[in-house]
Amino acid sequence: MSGSPGTGAAPVGWRALRASVRGAAHLRSELPNQDAVRIAPGARVDGADCGDAAALVLALADGHGSPKSFRSQQGARLAVAVALQTAGQLPLTAPPTLRKRWAEEQWPTALVRGWQAGVARKLARRPFTALELGALDEPGRRQLEVNPALAYGSTLLTVVVGPTFILYLQLGDGDLLTVSADGEVGRPLPPDARLMGNETTSLCAPRAADEVRVYCQTLAGAPPALILAASDGYANAFRDDEGFRQVAHDLWAMLRDEGEAGVKPHLRGWLDEASQQGSGDDISVGILWRAP
Amino acid sequence: MAKRPGGELATRPLHFIWIADCSGSMSVDGKIQSLNTAIREALPHMRTVANENPNAEVLVRSLAFGSGAQWQVSQPTPVADFKWTDLQTNGLTDMGLGLRMVAEQLQMPPMTDRALPPVLVLISDGQPTDDFSGGLAALMREPWGKKAVRIAIAIGEDADTEVLQRFIGHAEVKPLQANNPETLVRHIKWVSTAVLKSASAPASQAAGLAAGQNVPIPAPPTAPTGPQAPDDVW
Repeated sequence: MSGSPGTGAAPVGWRALRASVRGAAHLRSELPNQDAVRIAPGARVDGADCGDAAALVLALADGHGSPKSFRSQQGARLAVAVALQTAGQLPLTAPPTLRKRWAEEQWPTALVRGWQAGVARKLARRPFTALELGALDEPGRRQLEVNPALAYGSTLLTVVVGPTFILYLQLGDGDLLTVSADGEVGRPLPPDARLMGNETTSLCAPRAADEVRVYCQTLAGAPPALILAASDGYANAFRDDEGFRQVAHDLWAMLRDEGEAGVKPHLRGWLDEASQQGSGDDISVGILWRAP
Repeated sequence: MAKRPGGELATRPLHFIWIADCSGSMSVDGKIQSLNTAIREALPHMRTVANENPNAEVLVRSLAFGSGAQWQVSQPTPVADFKWTDLQTNGLTDMGLGLRMVAEQLQMPPMTDRALPPVLVLISDGQPTDDFSGGLAALMREPWGKKAVRIAIAIGEDADTEVLQRFIGHAEVKPLQANNPETLVRHIKWVSTAVLKSASAPASQAAGLAAGQNVPIPAPPTAPTGPQAPDDVW
């Protein structure tokens, strides 16, 4: 599986951090962390300069964790792997209109097909056990018979930073925030009002590709100084949206003033605190920023 | 540790609303007294469940409908501070008005999109005497009305279970039938504990897949309906 997308000039100066913590509620109920986050190129990500890559890819997935999605930890890991793989098909040097068309029309289909094929392979190797199915009620078992991928259900956020563009992709809940060079926080994709009350669009839905939202940003003007991707457990840990948006601003200021040393050693502790005192959910973040 | 990024942290609010029938028929055979006792006795169990999940802030309210409808406890009250005020019976069964008043409180604002799905518990012994359909439609127009966990308890054999089923809105969840005080206590306790516990868990669900609620409803303690038992009084 390729994790280094395409060829072309490097996105100079971008650096990356990631962290994922098991939720406080998951610790109490002895459930695993059902999030996954990866950044390509993987081996040199944390704090290393990613300037030798043609494009920098961040993928973050949040497995549903409901009783019917009892293999969603695997579903989330598969989602980020497929995101990195399909980003490798990105036509980096194509004209912007063609690249945009690929991102909006072909990428969602490739992602969903890749994920569903991966689920089918996993299921063939390890069918559902009597123990797994026995924990469900009859309607739940019927739903799984119709759509076995429900057991692996997951959301997906992906960001691709190329030499002259940034692609943002979102399926389901979670947040993508950007911070401009003068500290202004924005959302490349508007919030989806349907996603409330624990319900989310998902890779396991029959028409998942239609639910994928993509935004293509051309770096003609001032590119963002920082991009934050986070699973929904992070935003839900704050009293209001303003408090969550403040996270992106504060991280930008810390990285600008103190560099990676001001963030990396503390990141997991901050996420643990947010889960314990806030949502109780697993929390994962991926941070891409441009070193000054 | 360095200063944590971001604003104030907060647990997620979980609004729990009792919607109780106080029509004149509830005064017959001690139904209203049994309901008052059942809810009062369930409160300590409710607090225990709430304490087990410190990431959900359980906020309780109660609304009574008879001839008209009014909030008994209008402010979302932390379950630790919530006190049950005995309900008094009066006149008709304005259930539709009661649902409209709940719908108003589920608007955003004052609700926020980071809340957990609310739990609405409708308890009735009769048939609505006002525009039930209009009240239900108002409730279902609100995103949080639609996403709420809606449970119904039918007291006695005269309760309109068809109306209660429409309130629930999910074929696989049936109204709970209580034909005697002991069964009522059991149902109230189940709602206050098992349903509350399920609603306060933050697991996500894939939307739009077949039937089913966005919060899994645990199995009730007994079958929702059954033949007349020897100790049935209602």
